[in-house]
Amino acid sequence: MWNKLFGGKKNGTPMTTEIPPVKLKGVGDSFWVTVDPSTPEDVIHEKISELFERLQHLAINAKVIIDVGGAEGCDELVNNLRDFLKKRFDVGIVTTPPEKRSQSVENSRQVDLGKGWITHRTDALILTGRIRSGQKIETRRHLIIVGNVNPGAELTSSGNIIVLGSLQGQVNAGYPDNEDAFIIAIDFKPTLVHIAGIPGDGADPSLAGKIVYASIHKNKVILQDYMQDQPFGKIPWPTAL
Amino acid sequence: MEGKIIVVTSGKGGVGKTTATASIGAALALEGNRVAVIDMDIGLRNLDVVLGLENRIVFNIVDVVNKRCNLAQALIRDRRIENLFLVPASQSDNKDVLTAIGVQRVAKMLKSEFDYILMDSPAGIEKGFENSVVAADEAIVICTPDVSSIRDADRVIGLLYSRSITPKLIVNRIVPEMVARGDMLSHEDVIDVLSIDLLGLVPMDNQVVVSTNTGMPLVMHNQSLAGQAFRRIAKRLNGEVDIPIKVPTARTGVWDKISQKLGLNR
Ligand SMILES: Nc1ncnc2c1ncn2[C@@H]1O[C@H](COP(=O)(O)OP(=O)(O)O)[C@@H](O)[C@H]1O
Ligand SMILES: [Mg+2]
Repeated sequence: MWNKLFGGKKNGTPMTTEIPPVKLKGVGDSFWVTVDPSTPEDVIHEKISELFERLQHLAINAKVIIDVGGAEGCDELVNNLRDFLKKRFDVGIVTTPPEKRSQSVENSRQVDLGKGWITHRTDALILTGRIRSGQKIETRRHLIIVGNVNPGAELTSSGNIIVLGSLQGQVNAGYPDNEDAFIIAIDFKPTLVHIAGIPGDGADPSLAGKIVYASIHKNKVILQDYMQDQPFGKIPWPTAL
Repeated sequence: MEGKIIVVTSGKGGVGKTTATASIGAALALEGNRVAVIDMDIGLRNLDVVLGLENRIVFNIVDVVNKRCNLAQALIRDRRIENLFLVPASQSDNKDVLTAIGVQRVAKMLKSEFDYILMDSPAGIEKGFENSVVAADEAIVICTPDVSSIRDADRVIGLLYSRSITPKLIVNRIVPEMVARGDMLSHEDVIDVLSIDLLGLVPMDNQVVVSTNTGMPLVMHNQSLAGQAFRRIAKRLNGEVDIPIKVPTARTGVWDKISQKLGLNR
């Protein structure tokens, strides 16, 4: 369904470089609309209509964020779009992206040291228990399973997938096209792996008994020994995903 | 007191549902319970043959549910085991002739007459499965130690949980020699995936085929290892808590051979 809604790309085909005047993606519980403010307003209206028409009833009462990419002097445009979306598609709250902190990186890190994380909302779905054959978990958020995923079960996430247990069954991380997504499993034995639509191999016998980290590298899914390679241990400072 | 309806199911076919239903039903009756076994595998009637009662069928479960006869007319009493009754399946209809409401109505009548009602479910997870679980209080999932049977059992377990039924597991057709060689999954491997309570382990046993063909309930053969396993399962179901789970072992020792000859319970 997401493919239809957000125009996700098919397995492994390269992205086009041309930037469309209006883009729509789901972020958390909102629809994030990226608008190129240099486009004539009637064209923007037309493109937005096309995208929102595909959402059908999902648009009703939805939270919408209009992102003009930080361009100055767009208040009128945003206001017009807000009225338009409310009237035409019955959407709920329409806002602009939260302001980026103007502090220096150093400052923000000091905030982190204090209680800066206290207001951070996690965009993760955390489930405990066993996911059985025939069960499908689909989420736009990161997916954390504290438990086991049986053969025949299916996980799909627009973000990362972390399994604190054995991962058999099928996994689909970064759906449809987030190539930064990764998969980590304590016991990595999936029957089928996709990251950003790119298929990869299941279990690697040479990594048996190891915690496995799967990610995209040069358009391929690669598997690494998580404890040995420490892909995140090298990041010197905590970063929210 | 009301009786209990236990559905015997598996997802996959040919794993031993019918064998288990007949054996556990017979064993529960031998323990002194009033037992009805119901063949819900409409169109693929089997349970009557396994119990050796196929010559006495007049009415079947479809007739009862669709009110073409009353329950008493369709119940076939076993002549060897007191208090064991069969309601056969119909051989001609297909699975869609039953409705959930009809099954529930008959289930209610059965519960007032019997201590245990075992429903032998068809393979699959469609209407026939639905009909056999709709009135169930408990469920037994039968699984053999192979990957596809485990996959199907897992699916069924998920469906049972979604109906708030917590199933128990029987692993059937275990060949201890193959497990020892590593050629067959062990029951631990099966439980690792399915993670539900184990009710019992049943070895592969040629006596199963012999007793199916002769229509002599397996649990009446004292030497049959599978028969013994089903008798222990029935005792556990019947609330005897101190029956340990016996892991089938390769029969190679001298003592095994002697005890087998003497027909001693191992
Ligand atoms: N423990 C066992 N040892 C040997 N054969 C078995 C055993 N359990 C079942 N069988 C055989 O397997 C076949 C399928 O069993 P059945 O009970 O009819 O399965 P289902 O009802 O699940 O389709 C039958 O031929 C039966 O005799
Ligand atoms: Mg059968």
